[in-house]
Amino acid sequence: MGKAALKSVWVFHVDSGSCNGCDIEVLDMLTPYYDPERFGIKLVGTPRHADALLVTGPMTRQCRRGVQKVYEAMPPKPRIVVAVGSCASSGGIFYDGYPIYRSKDRFGRDRLRSGGVEEVLPVDMYIPGCPPSPEAILFGVAQLLGLKEKKMKGEYYTDKETEFKLPQYPIEERIRLSLRESLKKVIGYFDRDRVLEDFMEIAGEANRAENPKEKLHALVTGYFLQEKDSRLKFSMKFLENEYWRLKDDYENKYVALVETHVQ
Amino acid sequence: MEDVKISYTESLISWKRPDLRVGVPVTVKYPLVPTEKPPEYRGKPHIDPNVCIGCGACVRACPADALTAEWDLENGLKSIVSNPARCIRCGRCEEACPTGAMKLTLEFELATPNKEDLVEVVEHHLTKCKKCGDYTEFTERQVEKAFQILPKEIVDANALGEKMQLCRECRMEESVKILAAQGRIIGDPLLLPPQHAKGGEK
Repeated sequence: MGKAALKSVWVFHVDSGSCNGCDIEVLDMLTPYYDPERFGIKLVGTPRHADALLVTGPMTRQCRRGVQKVYEAMPPKPRIVVAVGSCASSGGIFYDGYPIYRSKDRFGRDRLRSGGVEEVLPVDMYIPGCPPSPEAILFGVAQLLGLKEKKMKGEYYTDKETEFKLPQYPIEERIRLSLRESLKKVIGYFDRDRVLEDFMEIAGEANRAENPKEKLHALVTGYFLQEKDSRLKFSMKFLENEYWRLKDDYENKYVALVETHVQ
Repeated sequence: MEDVKISYTESLISWKRPDLRVGVPVTVKYPLVPTEKPPEYRGKPHIDPNVCIGCGACVRACPADALTAEWDLENGLKSIVSNPARCIRCGRCEEACPTGAMKLTLEFELATPNKEDLVEVVEHHLTKCKKCGDYTEFTERQVEKAFQILPKEIVDANALGEKMQLCRECRMEESVKILAAQGRIIGDPLLLPPQHAKGGEK
């Protein structure tokens, strides 16, 4: 930090058009559970007493003058600005919106194009997150105080240097992708990959058997009786039916189509 | 990673949450003592460069445009750029990714004075058309993935192994020639192959 060594930072909190998600996390960070007062951090009621400004939300046109006035009201030293949340750091999901203030016109989907506080004020610390958890805000403040070092570095990879290996699965890839898509409607996208993993293990075992249809049915029934979660029970039965539907569909329709195409 | 494989329902309850009824220390010692987040926490997104095929499905899905594709057609490069400073952690990139390269990690200590530290770039080479030598609009890894998805019978019947290496215009010419040879196109000038412009005209 180029600024003077900080000891106890008094902060003032400004909302420049936030959805209140980050505001709640900032309030949570100030509770005794996280207790920032052991580092001397304290919320004050006026910018004239504040060393640091916590800004949440994208920089809307209506709030620009207000934020600038708050910044001017602060004592000239050290005047720290902390952008809390994705919106304050870069505009977030609102970066392209009509009420966002932009210092100059920019076109295209430029990766560093912004609608955050940095359009108006110089920012000392960016804390991305939607919303950032209280620990994440504490980490940013601890960096300002010199308790922690930054972890992030830019990452750059090329396909020539990295080793490419497509993941292999026990069932055909096209069937796996179709099952994955239809399973989203049954159990939701968050849990589906783990459920599909379990099913593929069973299906791979069944494909090695002499009669895969009966073997798969027996294995799924065994899973059904053992499992307690009714969501998993249902999705397993669903997957079994869907798997055979897709396989038979391909054999009936597409193989016949290919034969006519060759002739 | 654990060696012993536990079932899905067990893995959800395996993370030890603090039991507030028994009693927890009033103040957490976080910045001085490291903590970790629960397994369902959505942190910084990370692209696995060993599995990413550069298809751009995540770029299309991202509502905040935190993920962008940068094209360099002269050198034949397409890079997927992730900017977590604009990411809203909705997880739609993870949902759209066909290979499982995109994952939301448990990383939450992102605070930095410089936003460039957060940017993650994965660069891909585009395939060259075997006929005219121009760059196509898909990457080398995308072709491999397409062969993994398509069944062998269909690939052999349509001679896709060669067609996949051509650019869009050359492919169109080829298929029109095949159709004309089969007699499916008879004397319609609109359907005859156009003169293919070579070189820098784009």
